[in-house]
Amino acid sequence: MLVPPHGGRLTDRQYEGSEAEDIIKQVKNSALLTLNAREKNDLEMIGNGAMSPLEGFMCGTDYESVIDLMRLAAGPVWTLPVVFAQKKGDPDVSPGDHVGLKDVEGTIWGDMQIEDVFQADLIAEADKTLGTIDDSHPGVMYLNTLSGTYIGGKIRSIRRRKTESFQNYRLDPKETRVLFRARGWKTAVAFQTRNPIHRAHEYIQKCAMEIVDGLLLHPLVGETQAGDIPPDVRMRCYEEILKDYYPRTRVAMSVFPAAMRYAGPKEAVFHAILRKNYGCSHFIVGRDHAGVGNFYGTYDAQMIFDQFDPDELGIVPLKFEHAFYCSKCGGMATPKTCAHDNEYHIFLSGKKVRAMLIDGILPPPEFTRPEIASILMEAARKGDN
Amino acid sequence: MKGLVIWIRTEDGSDEAILDKLGTEIEERGGRVEVFHSKAVENLGMEKNDKAKAVACAMLASHGVVVITSGAENPSIKSGEKLEIRIIEESDLFNTAIHDSFIRDLELAGLVPAPKYDVHPDEEKEILRKLQDLGYLDD
Repeated sequence: MLVPPHGGRLTDRQYEGSEAEDIIKQVKNSALLTLNAREKNDLEMIGNGAMSPLEGFMCGTDYESVIDLMRLAAGPVWTLPVVFAQKKGDPDVSPGDHVGLKDVEGTIWGDMQIEDVFQADLIAEADKTLGTIDDSHPGVMYLNTLSGTYIGGKIRSIRRRKTESFQNYRLDPKETRVLFRARGWKTAVAFQTRNPIHRAHEYIQKCAMEIVDGLLLHPLVGETQAGDIPPDVRMRCYEEILKDYYPRTRVAMSVFPAAMRYAGPKEAVFHAILRKNYGCSHFIVGRDHAGVGNFYGTYDAQMIFDQFDPDELGIVPLKFEHAFYCSKCGGMATPKTCAHDNEYHIFLSGKKVRAMLIDGILPPPEFTRPEIASILMEAARKGDN
Repeated sequence: MKGLVIWIRTEDGSDEAILDKLGTEIEERGGRVEVFHSKAVENLGMEKNDKAKAVACAMLASHGVVVITSGAENPSIKSGEKLEIRIIEESDLFNTAIHDSFIRDLELAGLVPAPKYDVHPDEEKEILRKLQDLGYLDD
């Protein structure tokens, strides 16, 4: 039996076909509110159940509880606010109103039954959830663009498959759950990434695969910051490596359409809970997971899990060190398993790899498999990374 | 699981079938349920009033049982460390949205088990077909 969804059951508030058309008709004469890129990602993930038990954008009670206690008001662990901000130029709304939700181009993506309109202290939110109010943090930069008024209430989201990227890899939580069962997996580990796959990732994934039935490769394809490798390049890398280096029946790849918040430790827990909803029993947490710059301590994203009772989290974090190739060991290792000095370790920073690729130099095969290096080099030549 | 008393408030005595229906719903999820009908108070030789009923229900619930009962007034007992009292108007149980929301809150608080399946069996078949089409089940 797979791990149950967070809060007990999967939310299902996603509609398509004639049901979606009905929603569009219903909001035709209602006020329309504008989704920004993050909110659009969140709407999709609330609708498809990835953010269960959320049924909509948070109201004030949940928001306060989450930023102060890392829990929803009803009790389950939840570490980051999922909120909808009032936008300049949008109509004023009140609790009880039924509104449509549109993107900046005017396409309707869902609706919301408004239950709460509340003022938030965005500095306090930044401090409590991101651990900083420094304007150079991308999460703080995002908050600085908001008005400070949030609108909460249950949503319905509209699925428009034809417009989706990575259509063949877009599995909802109920779909990954059915997939795991069909493959006979009782346990599965999720690997979250916003980077192309290098040998170190492969090593960590395969270590995790030794203790569970299957691996869910779950690259994040929602909004990220400029400078991150684009999702299509990362996906090409994964498609390539899956051809020859992983047992097909023990790996599944699907995209994770969430926006990055760069909230470090709190986002690590958030990512884990969402993967639990996809049916995963384990989640790989590397050093500085979901971190940015030097805002978080190396092990903060791993240590935060110790603040919760394992049963209430319901997903096991697998905490990994940075992996590298050790020329003296003659294989991949981590500081936990290798006795040799750094001089024997082959490890390159992302920055260094990017510089090599731009200069037309392939990273060593001990760092990146040649097939992957070729894809990255081609992308670098085209200016994709 | 913390003990729970679901107290259905009703002006003129609840239809006991309503209590039984809610009991069955929670029992089918794997919860330990005791439906405490008004007659039970008499059968236990207790005084037939809401106060006596509330005390008996609290004692039952303190053993980790979900106790469902009804009363004309709010119960005299209060929620505590080992016991949760949740009150709902009888008429609200007939409103699907309020009923679902009431049960959902109990699930989130860990007071009643969630439904046994994560994907409805009928939908599961449809999803398997989609996964087949996408090539996920080729092996």
